[in-house]
Amino acid sequence: MSNADDKDDLIFLNGQALQPEDVHEVYEHVSPQILYVKILGALFVLTGLTYAVSYLNLGPASLPVAMLVALAKASLVATFFMHLKGDEKYHTFVFVSSLLFVGIFFTFTMFDLNSRDRLSQEQGTFFQRQNDPSAGMPDRQPGLSPFVEGTAPALTPWQVEAGATPGDAAPASTEAPAADAAAEGAKPAAAKPAAAKPGAAPKGPAKPAGH
Amino acid sequence: MSTHDAKAMRPPGAIDPPMPLAHHFDTAGQQAGSAKFGMWVFLATEVLMFSGLFLAYFIVRMLYPEMVLSSHELLDKTMGGINTVVLLTSSYTMAMGVRAAQLGDKKGLVRNLVLTIAFACVFLVVKYFEYTGKFSHGIFPGKYFNYAEAGAYAMEHGGHVLQGKPHIFFGLYFVMTGLHGVHVVVGIGVLVWVLMRAKKGQFGPRYYAPVENVGLYWHIVDLVWIFLFPLLYLVR
Repeated sequence: MSNADDKDDLIFLNGQALQPEDVHEVYEHVSPQILYVKILGALFVLTGLTYAVSYLNLGPASLPVAMLVALAKASLVATFFMHLKGDEKYHTFVFVSSLLFVGIFFTFTMFDLNSRDRLSQEQGTFFQRQNDPSAGMPDRQPGLSPFVEGTAPALTPWQVEAGATPGDAAPASTEAPAADAAAEGAKPAAAKPAAAKPGAAPKGPAKPAGH
Repeated sequence: MSTHDAKAMRPPGAIDPPMPLAHHFDTAGQQAGSAKFGMWVFLATEVLMFSGLFLAYFIVRMLYPEMVLSSHELLDKTMGGINTVVLLTSSYTMAMGVRAAQLGDKKGLVRNLVLTIAFACVFLVVKYFEYTGKFSHGIFPGKYFNYAEAGAYAMEHGGHVLQGKPHIFFGLYFVMTGLHGVHVVVGIGVLVWVLMRAKKGQFGPRYYAPVENVGLYWHIVDLVWIFLFPLLYLVR
């Protein structure tokens, strides 16, 4: 308040001298209501789009498409609802720099994950995933992972219930403590033929129950 | 610096309470801008915090694709969709509340804040039904996951076999949506605080930084959900 009363001391904001009465004003752009309504409509449309796309079975493209739509929605919210447009550019800088660091975080972790299998193979290192062979490993870069060769994916309790045998998935496995424990409590209700499931993820060749 | 167009948009009976200007600021605009800048720095830390969980999701998805695909079928897309619409609408009412504060429209501000709080509560109620629905079928996070019950439920529900280690996926699901839910609860708290102050007529065109900042927080909660929803519920 001190300087405001003294008309000799000019106060500058963004390079422009302020009038004394301007000192107590907050200069912010007020958006018309129709803009907010339009943005909300666009957000609803994009939500419907994400929903529809999820039923299209785009396969590997579904993740990038869903992320692009989510990014579009997020940009709308940040630009208009959070007033990044018309606001000081510095706020955009702070926000975008956080996203930049998220990008670095993701990229370097992915580098590490993608190069780890080869390094582990060279060094003969085994780690926890070996004890978890049923969890999707066979599909992942066969030949690169030391856990695929000679390691049998264990059956899940439901595959066991469905009459499958360990031979269905792969040669032999003794490492499935969690699955065994859970199988004891499994209900017969789960005992439907697993082979009849069209949407089920890839498994070994189906064999008749009873082996 | 923008024009004075906001003055022409003020409704009849608009209030314009004076704003205490701290001695270390030159102008009200500078004071409001500082508060907002601090809020944006906080939002950046929020983004970084959630990014760790998103990265965990992407890693699990990359390593165990079948597990994620077969587990996510158990989530209720409709409830997730309803919650998305509810949160987006609440973001709209929040933005309208900030606009009302900018125009000195006390009635509009109070109305929009009440609506925002109501939508936040609807979100939590839907979330409650989702969580209890999962619990009743033995779908708990981590080591409490009941494979037998959940597997039977998957068979009845979608007729598919739960692959791999679904408890890892549901651990992520509960932590991500749970942390987001905590943010919603905190959001309701600060919204009630702003509502009480708004009812006293403390916010107007010259002073609405708390409304604006709470609004920014609420929008970031919305932003996180915009990414959570397709990743957890929809993506195949």
